[in-house]
Amino acid sequence: MVIGESVPMLDSLARVTGAVGYMINLRLPNMLFGKIVRSQSPHAKLLNVDVTNAMQVPGVVAILTGEDLGANAFYGVAIKDQGIVAVDRVRYVGEPIAAIAAESLSAAEEAALLIDIEYKDLPSVFDAQEATQDGAPVLHEKFANNVFKHAKLRHGDMDAAFAEADEIFEDTFTSPVAQQASLEPHVSAAQWDGEHLTIWTASQAPFMVQKSLVEIFGIKPDAVRVIVPPLGGGYGGKGHIRIEPLVAALARKTNGRPVKFVLSRAEEFVTVTKHAASITLKTGVKRDGTFTARQVTIYWNGGAYADASPLLVPAGMVRSVGPYRIPAVHVDSYGVYTNLPPAGAYRGAMSSQTTWAYESQMDIIARKMGWDPLEFRMKNLFVSGEHFATGEELHDVHFMECLEASAKALKSTLPKKEGKHGRGYGVMMKSTVATSKSQARLKLMDDGSVTLYTSTVEMGQGGHTTMAQIIAETLGAPLSAIKVIGPDTAITPFDSTTSASRSTSMMGNAVIAACGSMKEKLLELGAPLLEAPPDELRTENGFVVANEISISFGNVLKRNNLETLEEAGEYSTSLGIDPETGQGIATPHWHQGAGAAEVAVDTETGRVTILRYSAASFAGRVVNPHMAQLQNDGNVIFGLGPTLMEEIIFDGGQATNPNLADYAIPSIRDIPAELISVCIESDKGEMHGIGEMTLPPVAPAVANAIEDAVGVRIKDLPITAEKVLRALKEKSGR
Amino acid sequence: MILKVNGSRYEVQEGTRTLLEVLRDDLNLVGAKEGCGIGMCGACTVLVDGKPVSGCLTLAAQVAGKEIFTVEGLVEDGKLHPIQQAFIDERAFQCAYCTPGFILSAFALLEENPNPSEDEIREYLSGNLCRCGSYQNIMKAVVEAGARLNKR
Amino acid sequence: MSIKFLEPTDFSTAIALLDQHADDSKVIAGGTSVVLMLQQRLIAPNVLISLGRIPGHDDIRQEEDGLHIGALTKLRDIERSDVVKKFCPALAHTFNVVGNVRIRNQATLGGNLSAADYAADPPAMLTALDARAQIIGPGAKREIPLSEFFLGFYTTALKPNEILAEIIIPALPPSTRAAYHKYTSISAEGRPCVAVGAVADFDDDGKCSDLRIAVGAAVETPQRVREAEAMAHGSTLTDELIAVIAEEYSLKIDPLTDVRGTAWYRKEMIRVFVRRVLEEVRGDR
Repeated sequence: MVIGESVPMLDSLARVTGAVGYMINLRLPNMLFGKIVRSQSPHAKLLNVDVTNAMQVPGVVAILTGEDLGANAFYGVAIKDQGIVAVDRVRYVGEPIAAIAAESLSAAEEAALLIDIEYKDLPSVFDAQEATQDGAPVLHEKFANNVFKHAKLRHGDMDAAFAEADEIFEDTFTSPVAQQASLEPHVSAAQWDGEHLTIWTASQAPFMVQKSLVEIFGIKPDAVRVIVPPLGGGYGGKGHIRIEPLVAALARKTNGRPVKFVLSRAEEFVTVTKHAASITLKTGVKRDGTFTARQVTIYWNGGAYADASPLLVPAGMVRSVGPYRIPAVHVDSYGVYTNLPPAGAYRGAMSSQTTWAYESQMDIIARKMGWDPLEFRMKNLFVSGEHFATGEELHDVHFMECLEASAKALKSTLPKKEGKHGRGYGVMMKSTVATSKSQARLKLMDDGSVTLYTSTVEMGQGGHTTMAQIIAETLGAPLSAIKVIGPDTAITPFDSTTSASRSTSMMGNAVIAACGSMKEKLLELGAPLLEAPPDELRTENGFVVANEISISFGNVLKRNNLETLEEAGEYSTSLGIDPETGQGIATPHWHQGAGAAEVAVDTETGRVTILRYSAASFAGRVVNPHMAQLQNDGNVIFGLGPTLMEEIIFDGGQATNPNLADYAIPSIRDIPAELISVCIESDKGEMHGIGEMTLPPVAPAVANAIEDAVGVRIKDLPITAEKVLRALKEKSGR
Repeated sequence: MILKVNGSRYEVQEGTRTLLEVLRDDLNLVGAKEGCGIGMCGACTVLVDGKPVSGCLTLAAQVAGKEIFTVEGLVEDGKLHPIQQAFIDERAFQCAYCTPGFILSAFALLEENPNPSEDEIREYLSGNLCRCGSYQNIMKAVVEAGARLNKR
Repeated sequence: MSIKFLEPTDFSTAIALLDQHADDSKVIAGGTSVVLMLQQRLIAPNVLISLGRIPGHDDIRQEEDGLHIGALTKLRDIERSDVVKKFCPALAHTFNVVGNVRIRNQATLGGNLSAADYAADPPAMLTALDARAQIIGPGAKREIPLSEFFLGFYTTALKPNEILAEIIIPALPPSTRAAYHKYTSISAEGRPCVAVGAVADFDDDGKCSDLRIAVGAAVETPQRVREAEAMAHGSTLTDELIAVIAEEYSLKIDPLTDVRGTAWYRKEMIRVFVRRVLEEVRGDR
């Protein structure tokens, strides 16, 4: 049994010696250094971009501006609205206007100061709801009210359902713009060889990058090679397409010399963000503690370009309803353009915002109706076989176990510390990618070594180790013989993306398929050698085994005059929902997680201390318990950021705190003294990813605990000490 | 000017670059990395005369002649330092971008205080940020490393 | 392009170099503030005058007139100094809570104060302690109260050719008690939202004979409210009196707004932390 063992990450040695080959370490012969010149205006016509002086700086090799771009100047995951660099117009502070390649970074930086840009300012809008109003400035003429995506879910007769309710609750919850803040920034390098492009990039989605570059440059897919080393954190921020088009377009002007870009911390804050969201929930309940209806209205602030939002806004829609039995549900999920940096996936994408809303409202309802928040949840949580608002049947449902496991840890009584104590809970239900594909290629050498070629990105989650464990068990090979080759589109097969906690399940199944084929071949090849029919053979620890005798994989190959044996595996899902009604199947399986928080509130300062936190995620079957615990713990700690402290503050569209001093992320002193996390497994034993499940419940669990402690309800993230104090003062009328 | 790094001497030009740049670009010692550029995150932690400092906030010229120590200096005769081994045994990392910084901070702490309390560990390491949130296991690793070092 | 890095080995040479390079130079000590400004291109000097090779001036001495701390002393050495701990534990504590260990290993007292960053810890405590700054320039040394040293945001009384050489904290009678509270409103690792340092002396029957409270981080430069301090003189620090003094501080100080809190919130926090600091000097905490 290798699945279920806490083997260390395969490259642990490199991880403790500083030898991991992150993008930031990449050095190529003849390499140039890149620097981006960015817009100072939130919305303006570009009257003139003059690079004459900048080109004179010694060491400057090339400068890319909008004028260089041809017909394919625009890109985007679904809506091609974003210029590789700005063309004629800028729409947010920080938008790339020009990119410089120079012999040294300092030369590029000096040149950057010498590019003259003439703007004609246009009116701007920063709030998503305001942007949809008549008369608001229009960012993209094709979308008159700035709504680039309206996702709809229609399930049941709302009027009738609300009429049945004894009480109707309507609350709005907001989340601000935040940032993924991986410690490794976005780093990409590109080099052209004629019509062939090689791009090295810190990306979670190598094949999306490839597809996008193929479209932009009008070249064949195999002319674009994307190589992705291990990442220093991703958290969604390196998903989809980021700076790769700009880097590649600039590299096209350097006569085959490679150009490398390393974004500064400040640039990170304008490169991708977490969607600010305003979510209004109107929920009907009956006195018997059941729901009648829920109407959800969401405004997602997509920033100036649609980016991945056309995919995320519908995902956010199905993730906004919650894990409860509600007969009638309508959701309107709007993706809106504003003059802020583009938003993308942020760990627990969209669920971080929606769970904040629906789990906060659960407690508002319970308190008003006089019900225990835990019991109210238990009474309404889905169980297997029930139907979700999309119409799909739910299988392998374990919300109750997750919540019970979380709550159990708070049963004991803590010694009283300063401040008032309170407890709160949160549960979340999240879809993964509905339609996606993973392919794996397995190669056995005649020395018995096994190499997996996979485009799953290793970003700290331990994805490569997980796959090796799956191979070890499924193929019956020793872990020490297994090597994993990560994404290089020239040699590793297709994978949609490393995100949405999909890899363990999707790539895991592709690997299992490849192992299955390989095992079958090995048994066939081994049968004559062992003088037994294949169905009486098994594989174990790198050997094909009959009852009494065995032969190593390597010798099976050698005896058959084979140097290598290669097998491929594929796993894909093709699901989806109707764009007009939201009916269909939203996800191959639902991610399930819960959390319980105990907090102390200093009623004089409003400062909240998380005394202890307990989290549970549904894993199906845990591949590596230690790494699973790290993911669960990490989610809670990551989640404390947007809960208590993280917010990019804008002034006229300009981020005022784009640094890790003024934009704080949780430190070792911000975490609960006691943090417990568990994975729930099921008899069916399907392996699920758990990269996000315990994150979204953190914010509502903490807010619910605060209300339990001091009787105030915070509806706007982050829950700063100042907001709590203000609410306390308002409550006491002082 | 001469930089003494991990016991070796290096002739270095342009000392008004940061120590971090010189280590990475000139000496190819890439264990220390820039994370925030303002001394907040500790990914660039290196030791100068045994004390942790931020490589991003130190000019190379300031530390000429001093004993500079990076994560690359920890491995002796191909053997991991007990702190490194404890980080593996306690699974004290995920993406590991921050790990060399944590390990060097822990090294300096345990040199200074071989029996730190948990609060002292937390206080000492609080200037090293781990976005993956491996803090609990990092705590365990430092406690375990301290115990192992005391047994030596 | 490259910056000249000059390393004088005594203060007078440093001053001469500073005089010589006038506007074109910047003094660098520990570097945590200067390197950051260089990296962010907030300054672009052609010459850096490093104080790093100047011997001495990094010592802590208890003398008859009080505690002397050389400007080149690292913050971490102040925090760990037995002399400082004996002289005033609250002062050692103040330095213990600055930034992180790395910053404290690098940053010097002189650099920390000369940067005049409002969101810092030492200024409030040192102001409450009535510290004086000894300044060296081309002529004679001069000494000014720290309260006159800080002029505003990132601005001090140092002339372009002067360097802070030493901080002198007047001797504290044994009956004195001091406390420092740093309040971080966001992450535990943040800079202070409000910083309050207080020093009180008590006569034999426990009445307060002297009280100095300085509020920092919420204001441009550390502030004392003398009328409020005076209320304590000759009185026992009762809860009521403490509340009145705290209220007075909250009323009289006009705090600023930044990411760590609005002016409204800081007014509230000044009240809370002046009270808490006084409870501590009274001996409650």
